[in-house]
Amino acid sequence: MPLQPEHIDKFLEEEIDTKIKTELLELLKKRIDNLCFKECEIDRIQCTLTPLCTRRTLLKLRLLNGLTIEDQPKFCYSVHKNIIFRDFRNKTVIYKPNDAYLYLVDFFDVFFHGDYRKLNKFFSKQDFKGAKKIFDDRINNREEDFQYLLTKNKNFMIFKYDDKIHVCFISENYALCNANRENITNLEMLYGLCKLFARIYFPEVKLSLNHSNCVEIKSIIPKDALLKISKTSPTNEDSKSDNYIWNVFPGELDALSQFCKEINIYIDSKENLAIKLNIGVVPEVRMNKSSNALLRYRDLRLVFNILYRLYNDFYILHV
Amino acid sequence: MTEKDQNNPEISKIKDFVKDGRIDDAVNIIALYLGDSTQDDYLERMEDILEMLLSLHGGRTVLRFLIEQLIIDIPSLLENLSKRDSVLRYSFLLLLKTSCENECDLFLPHSEDLLNSDDPNIREAILQLIIFMAGGEAEIDYESLINKIAFTLADEKEFVVEKAIQALISIGKKHPLWVTKSVTNITKEYPENQELKNAVDSVLKSIVTVEKIEEIREETPSEEELIEKEETEITDKEFELKKKELEIKKKKIELEEKENELEEKIILEKEKTLKLKEEIHEKETTVPTEADIIPKKVQKQLKKEESNIIDKEIELKKKDLEIKKKKLDLELKEREIEEMVIEEKEKTLKIKEELIEKESELSQAEIELKQKIIKEKEQKIIENEIKRAVEEFMVPDDKEKDEENKKEKN
Repeated sequence: MPLQPEHIDKFLEEEIDTKIKTELLELLKKRIDNLCFKECEIDRIQCTLTPLCTRRTLLKLRLLNGLTIEDQPKFCYSVHKNIIFRDFRNKTVIYKPNDAYLYLVDFFDVFFHGDYRKLNKFFSKQDFKGAKKIFDDRINNREEDFQYLLTKNKNFMIFKYDDKIHVCFISENYALCNANRENITNLEMLYGLCKLFARIYFPEVKLSLNHSNCVEIKSIIPKDALLKISKTSPTNEDSKSDNYIWNVFPGELDALSQFCKEINIYIDSKENLAIKLNIGVVPEVRMNKSSNALLRYRDLRLVFNILYRLYNDFYILHV
Repeated sequence: MTEKDQNNPEISKIKDFVKDGRIDDAVNIIALYLGDSTQDDYLERMEDILEMLLSLHGGRTVLRFLIEQLIIDIPSLLENLSKRDSVLRYSFLLLLKTSCENECDLFLPHSEDLLNSDDPNIREAILQLIIFMAGGEAEIDYESLINKIAFTLADEKEFVVEKAIQALISIGKKHPLWVTKSVTNITKEYPENQELKNAVDSVLKSIVTVEKIEEIREETPSEEELIEKEETEITDKEFELKKKELEIKKKKIELEEKENELEEKIILEKEKTLKLKEEIHEKETTVPTEADIIPKKVQKQLKKEESNIIDKEIELKKKDLEIKKKKLDLELKEREIEEMVIEEKEKTLKIKEELIEKESELSQAEIELKQKIIKEKEQKIIENEIKRAVEEFMVPDDKEKDEENKKEKN
């Protein structure tokens, strides 16, 4: 049986001798460099249409480890940037650039082309007022359709274009475009995301940061709406809301329980049905598992979808 | 294609036409649609059309028509693409892949010109199209194009060189001899270019297999074969010249026959005129009174006949002159041909002389080699004999000395 990747993984985990480890890792490094700078980039058509690493992961590897643009394979990076740009402009792309990382200056170049130098300057000097002016001008005067939010400690800026989320990691000097399967690594960012979505979709839902490193989201089904819900299981002719509460809601609660640390459902002092969700960076379903998987952007989107439905069907329509 | 484009009424109209098999209408609408475009959105429109056409049954025929009727002009399309981002450029090239594979005659005529382009992106793009074409059913067997591609192995841009290597490899799978030939010629032109040598090496490594070496050997003629070929060519030429000579001779004979006929005719005509004159004279002498009696009309007719005869004589003389001229021309041509034959013979003689010289050189070299070998052998024999002699002389001397020593001791 030939050597398998798992064997190397296991060996690296178990081996204590750092010299052997570094030797092995040096081999890997050489192979990666050769792949990027010689094998892949030399044929530009191949590099563009069928890159030798899946979705240009090796660019991400370098970028997340703090390497600069000078250390990246230049042509590959330019193609990567172009794909994000084309996808942003709804053009044909070879693959959807989900969870794609860019250096901050390139992120601004793609999404705010005319102002990218200014924005880069403002962000590097942490002058967010100047940046805000540019964003507001684009939204109000140039008919650009996006929302943005600077997180509390000014470590992240979140942008939302339609259903796409882009996150700027300000101190790290890079941005995550089309966030989807990547993990939400930071409570500050999680809270920012909740705030931004709440502002757009459910403005009257209460948000707070609690002491157990969780974001608390409290939504209610008003008393009036509650009273209208049938007390017995609905037949086919009954209203949609009855159907939802009796048939769909339990399943959605189950889904929420996978991503929330805690769910409280109770009748409050005003006899409304209160639904309180506690969401942390590490979701409940993965807490007991050995894997260190965190809450992903797509998980959070699912939570927001459920919240939006509850809010829209049982709060807005009645209140 | 964006959602906006999918809802574009012109695009959907074109789609309907193609689906209904109304190829000409579709081509016309596309021409109008592209004609209405500005410089900025030309490529976008083109991209939408190409994507749409390639996804439809019958779309390729429309594409062929568009290229044939120069509505889509390949060189200017590649030039436009060069100014755009690489994703668009290469996606476009990929869209053209199937057309290249199946209908390479649309693209091949532009290849050599585009390989000469100043823009490396264009050079790279056409090389990629050539790779697609070589991967198809059609054969790229234009020696000049292969030479041109081989020339791009010395390109200043690495990515162009890479594409040239790939193109030559893909062509070389079907025509290993031509590719090896042009590639080796290029290395001879740039003997000091190491990068070129590496590129050529990688081409040759990919196309030359053990089986193909024999093919190439079979196809590449040796020096002797070349000489034989030249000889046969010369003999063929000689044969052709002889044929021409024969033809000329035939023509000569024909001309002579014609001359004779003409001369006979002239003689006959002269005889007729003489007879007429004699008759007139006779009439004048025998019946002098009748001359006065001959009506004026007859006299006039006679004069007319006389003048006609004189005209005919002049014409005959002219023809004589023309025939003489033609004769002279023929003689000149014959001389030229003879000179040509002599030149060819001289050439063959020179080649033969060169051959003889080479053979004599070879034989001399062989003789020298043999002489050297003989000398070496002689030297060896002499050395061996000297050694033996020394040994023979040395042994008895030593024995004598030993005996003398023993005697002294005693």
